[in-house]
Amino acid sequence: MMTIIEECTGDCRPRVGVYALTSCYGCQLKLATVQKIIDISNMVSFESFYMLSSASKMAADVDVAFVEGSVSTERDLEELMEIRKHSRILVALGACSVNGGVQSWAEGEMDHDALHKCVYGDSKLTMQGLQATPISKHVDVDYYLPGCPPEEDEIMYFISAFLIGTFPEPKDYPVCAECRLAGNPCILIERGEPCLGPVIVAGCKARCIGFDVPCVGCRGPVPHETAWFDSLAQTFLRKGMTEKQIRQRMKIFGSHDPNIERMLHSILGGETE
Amino acid sequence: MRYVKISKENTYKFLEHLKATGALYAPQKISDRFYDFCAISDVHDVEFEYDRTIRPPRRFFHLPDEKMFNFDMTRHELTPVKTQAEHIILFGVHSCDIVGLRIMDAEFLDEQKDSYYETRRKKGIIIGLSCLPDEYCFCNVRRIEFVDAGFDLFFHELPDGFLVRVGTVTGHKLVDPHPELFEEVSADDTKNMELFEEKRSSMFSIYGNWDNLRYFLELRMDHPMYDRESEICLGCGNCTLTCPTCRCYDVKDLPAINQVNGERVRFWDSCQFRSHGLVAGDHNFRATKKDRFFNRYHCKNAYCPETTTSYCVGCGRCTYFCPAEINFKRNLMEIAGYRGAV
Amino acid sequence: MLITKDNIYDTHKCRLLRKYELTEHESLFLFRFEDPEVAQNWRYLPGQFVELSMLGYGEVPISICSSARRMGFFELCIRNAGRVTDRIHKLQPGDIVGIRGPYGNGFPVDQFHGRDLLCVAAGLGMAPLRSVFLYAIDNRWLFGNITIINTARYGKELLFQKELEAMKDIATAENIAIIQSTTRDPDWPGLKGRATEHMDKANVDPKNCAVAMCGPPAMYRGMFNYLVDAGYDPRYIFVTLERRMKCGVGKCGHCNIGTATSWKYACKDGPVFDYYAIISIPGLI
Repeated sequence: MMTIIEECTGDCRPRVGVYALTSCYGCQLKLATVQKIIDISNMVSFESFYMLSSASKMAADVDVAFVEGSVSTERDLEELMEIRKHSRILVALGACSVNGGVQSWAEGEMDHDALHKCVYGDSKLTMQGLQATPISKHVDVDYYLPGCPPEEDEIMYFISAFLIGTFPEPKDYPVCAECRLAGNPCILIERGEPCLGPVIVAGCKARCIGFDVPCVGCRGPVPHETAWFDSLAQTFLRKGMTEKQIRQRMKIFGSHDPNIERMLHSILGGETE
Repeated sequence: MRYVKISKENTYKFLEHLKATGALYAPQKISDRFYDFCAISDVHDVEFEYDRTIRPPRRFFHLPDEKMFNFDMTRHELTPVKTQAEHIILFGVHSCDIVGLRIMDAEFLDEQKDSYYETRRKKGIIIGLSCLPDEYCFCNVRRIEFVDAGFDLFFHELPDGFLVRVGTVTGHKLVDPHPELFEEVSADDTKNMELFEEKRSSMFSIYGNWDNLRYFLELRMDHPMYDRESEICLGCGNCTLTCPTCRCYDVKDLPAINQVNGERVRFWDSCQFRSHGLVAGDHNFRATKKDRFFNRYHCKNAYCPETTTSYCVGCGRCTYFCPAEINFKRNLMEIAGYRGAV
Repeated sequence: MLITKDNIYDTHKCRLLRKYELTEHESLFLFRFEDPEVAQNWRYLPGQFVELSMLGYGEVPISICSSARRMGFFELCIRNAGRVTDRIHKLQPGDIVGIRGPYGNGFPVDQFHGRDLLCVAAGLGMAPLRSVFLYAIDNRWLFGNITIINTARYGKELLFQKELEAMKDIATAENIAIIQSTTRDPDWPGLKGRATEHMDKANVDPKNCAVAMCGPPAMYRGMFNYLVDAGYDPRYIFVTLERRMKCGVGKCGHCNIGTATSWKYACKDGPVFDYYAIISIPGLI
């Protein structure tokens, strides 16, 4: 499925493409505005990066492609397939690409037709919509940079590691860890806020909790099935949250995670819609 | 030991002097229920009657996140990062946390000295403060409710000030320049200290001595408590990160974008995280949440020869700061069959 | 002898002299210290390990598998199993790496002197045991009879298989028994079965024999039962444990083993433990 990268002649810098599917373009804006963007552009050749250059094209031959956004239309899907074909390494950039993002938020059975009707009524659209999905539902993804938007230090770490032929040390601990190190009071313990910090993968330095806002889970669950949604649901119940509130909260960024419903089912029972 | 007395009012003056000596940190209220050691600008913000800080004092010496080396990949060289050498004054450290620091010393200043920790610790000044236990405290059964080492000064609350124990030469040097602030200890002061100690002793929810706990833990390794409680556990690591004696860390290399330089950094880790027991080829010696939960119960109750105590100092943080409300003290009592209020 | 810089986590430069492929996933790397002073003074015991630094990638603990007799040089047998070891496998002769150590207690070879020696290895366990075995060969006069049992699942996974095979020429004359066996390989022409199944071929006196083992916990369980029943002295049965020794100096906590009364760091208190230490840790093996 991957195209063979031609032998380099002249410019031997790794070729990079940055693409957006359905999204707010915030992730590529983040990438375009990291402090060391000039250093990056000296080290790599941006073959395609619409936000920075109009000389970009959809699916250039690249060594690494960053893809933001979820697959939400037929066109997204076609573009994603093209990108995959022309990229040696494919990186999911940001929450939409990694987990489907808020646009894939759904409770109960995902019924795209009902959703479409609810939003657009009977009006006709020029594009064919799809249930929003993370890109890993459709193509092999080599690396994930989660976050809404992704963190600058993680972007830099990935690109720097990529340049020396490796990838970052995986993170497998939750936001709570960074939250304690940051010296925040715990708003889940203290006020029973619906904070998803215990099950969401760290990296954001607990930014939201630092602003007194409970974690909404944009970075997705701690990997390797160590995000204990069931235990957290028990905690939330004790704090007085309703089953509906718990489900809603966990599915804002997590509707495509099969573990969540499986785990919630063991605590809350089946969904009542 | 030398004893002096200081009035409450003079204590604030003394704190002002300390501020001039170095970076002064003391307990402050950071939210409705929580305290932390904070950099003090106004000494009147110091909270004398706090229960426990959310972050343990070890963080001043073993930083949560620390750059160890700069490196050069082409020259294959590591350059150690020079440790900041400012005086750090911790005021208001409870006896549990003082023993916690001594346990940290035992681990980091053994025959293989950690120079980062050592440099900061040498610059650290520890001023203890007496306290009254709440229902989370069990330092008494850990035999550390009254410390006799590990502090430069120790402030014992009196109705009209503090009786101060001077523990080290550094302690003398803090007291000596300010004769106007300190007075002799009177018989009444000693009586008041006795009354305070009596009151404190009477306030613990459990009594006795938990030295035989570690044996019960081994004899009852298949106790159903582990299944029941690890089921509730969120695996979030709050218990270990707030612990005054947990010290696990992980190291990683952060290459720079230029493919030449980079940094080797270390940061606090927790045995509650999956990768802690991971070895090459993805084999994990603590593969399940229960394995990791179990690990902490044994690690914390192991024996530290340097302090002759367990690694757990009974500060109550792991229970107080557990979002899942898992009660360490109660669970240990259940295993060993100890009686008392939970 | 441990030679540390002012900062105990700082490394010594070592040059890769030779890389030799042992199996599909494991290669043998020969290193020499760049600093002559370090090269001349660096000593280690069989069973000790080093921390190998690949700047930009990280640091990994690796058992030393060479004979301690050749000063300034050491060999590491490394499996390509992760980010760092993958980079190590791409090294070319002449490349530089960072080394600190040696760490761990190592096998108490002094106590082995005057005794027969039985080495039992399974899989990658052969790496640290090669160091013990070569130590005994190099100090042949200090030992009685020697037996080594090297096992793996498949023939192609048998570490140092050719090296041991080549030694067979003089083995009988030297009172050395070399037993290589596979447990799952139908095409393997040699012996089949676990170490316990070949103990009848061991040419050692149980009453006066030191045992060094490295392998998975299941092997230790089986061998312990066998050895104690066969009358081996438990005080001279040693095993080496694998854990994630991130710092090597008892600080980072990743290699902790044991339960409440026997809490240990594999890097500092081990990785070599005797029979009694192992059975005193409930649930360890």
